[in-house]
Amino acid sequence: MKILEVVGLGKKFDGFEAVKDVSFSLESGEVLAVIGASGSGKTTLLRCLNFLETPESGKIIVKGKTIFDAESQTGYSDSQIRKNRLHFGLVFQSFNLFPQYTALKNVTLACELLARSEPGFKMDKVEILAGIEGNAREILDSVGLSDRLNHYPHQLSGGQQQRVAIARALALHPDILCFDEPTSALDPELTGEVLKVIRSLAAKQTTMIIVTHEMSFASGISDKVIFMDEGAALAQGSPKEILCDSSNARIQAFLRKIDVADGE
Amino acid sequence: MLLDVTKNLLEGFAVSCQIFGGTLVFGIPLGLLVAFGSMNRWAPFKRTVKAEGRFASVLRSFKPIAFIVRVFIWIIRGTPLLLQLIVIFFGAAILIGHAVFDRVTAAIVTFSINYACYFAVIFRGGIEAVPKGQFEAGLVLGMTRAQIFTKVTLLQLIKRIMPAMSNEIITLVKDTALARIIGVTEIIYYGYRYVTAQALIWPLFYTGVFFLAFVGALTLLFAYIERKLDYIKIL
Ligand SMILES: Nc1ncnc2c1ncn2[C@@H]1O[C@H](COP(=O)(O)OP(=O)(O)OP(=O)(O)O)[C@@H](O)[C@H]1O
Ligand SMILES: [Mg+2]
Repeated sequence: MKILEVVGLGKKFDGFEAVKDVSFSLESGEVLAVIGASGSGKTTLLRCLNFLETPESGKIIVKGKTIFDAESQTGYSDSQIRKNRLHFGLVFQSFNLFPQYTALKNVTLACELLARSEPGFKMDKVEILAGIEGNAREILDSVGLSDRLNHYPHQLSGGQQQRVAIARALALHPDILCFDEPTSALDPELTGEVLKVIRSLAAKQTTMIIVTHEMSFASGISDKVIFMDEGAALAQGSPKEILCDSSNARIQAFLRKIDVADGE
Repeated sequence: MLLDVTKNLLEGFAVSCQIFGGTLVFGIPLGLLVAFGSMNRWAPFKRTVKAEGRFASVLRSFKPIAFIVRVFIWIIRGTPLLLQLIVIFFGAAILIGHAVFDRVTAAIVTFSINYACYFAVIFRGGIEAVPKGQFEAGLVLGMTRAQIFTKVTLLQLIKRIMPAMSNEIITLVKDTALARIIGVTEIIYYGYRYVTAQALIWPLFYTGVFFLAFVGALTLLFAYIERKLDYIKIL
């Protein structure tokens, strides 16, 4: 079954089209890599999916249900948007961990707040909170941080911070996890540990959309690649089709540039 | 004699403390409200005005609530507190025909409004300095705006504004003396009475000691809070 369908998504900033008529779909467990030059709209696309931006056109359909339709007459209330957002998780380039909380609390906070708003919370408070903490410990363990639970973000390396951020997003069990250049704020020797975590998620059939400049990583992990150019999804296909065999001049130029940069 | 002076000064000091405490209790929440008002983004003409040109574009970005609040801040910060005390106490009484507030209440009301405007500017600076990514991370995790403010932004905000707030609060301790203009018998009123009535100077210095001790205690308190917040390293 298709877990995500995006149809004709568009976003303008003061008349400038940052994302133009982007359509794609994902099967459950698939990994989509989004590549493209700086300013081609990759981040904006992810932000639209997570409703940090409101698209002007298009539809977002998750598991057969239309959660966003720009043509909708009624619009969407804050609480609807909040609910729809939970289908997606987003890992930021700059981590954005909460500095006043430990790694563990960073992961549990949102779950606790959500649980609190459920009607039966007061009755089983202790159990629910224990369940949330157990879940968080498990997830932090799976990203290799079981010995860093009580560290504050500033006491962690960049790679560890990004892994906490991944755990934080995973804790809410999103249907689709999005990554915006998860390793580009890291020193080269720290990217490996983060990429390894993302690979292990792919092995566990996590549906993911990954914006990345790491071409070998993208081609290794993804089932599909979208090449963005000036806001449009210029080409999409298997990693082989886009990254190896494409005859498109813009893609070739882009890949050549990346190669040169990597060679330096 | 010393005992007598101490008793009188303590009486005045209690009044000063009332004004001080009242201003913090009412001024800080009011300041937060004013801060949010000054950042309000409601722009009613954003979508309705379609015309081209400079005037239309100014109109489109016009935010009435933020504008009114900012004008209010300008007036309050731009006029002397002394004048505001007189206007609120006597002005209100003249307009209505009888005294509205007792003197201490009038002082607390005026001080709260006045300090709220200074606090508001500090709060706004603090809120704007918390990186947008913190807010967005909260949104993406399904939190409400209120939850993000109380659980994510607030503590970082408090940490950022502590130095500026400690300045304002220490200034407030000494500004309470201005309430004397509307006949509030705060501590300096008593100290001054010894000079005029009995030509005694030492009670004045004794008055100063009260201020020094109080500000000293506050300084220790602020240092303690800053130490408590030291574990937050803003990234
Ligand atoms: N809030 C905004 N206001 C105005 N323009 C914006 C805004 N956000 C993005 N843009 C513009 O939209 C375009 C796409 O930006 P986006 O950040 O999505 O690119 P990107 O593909 O993620 O680039 P990079 O690889 O550098 O991260 C850019 O030209 C950018 O200047
Ligand atoms: Mg980007």
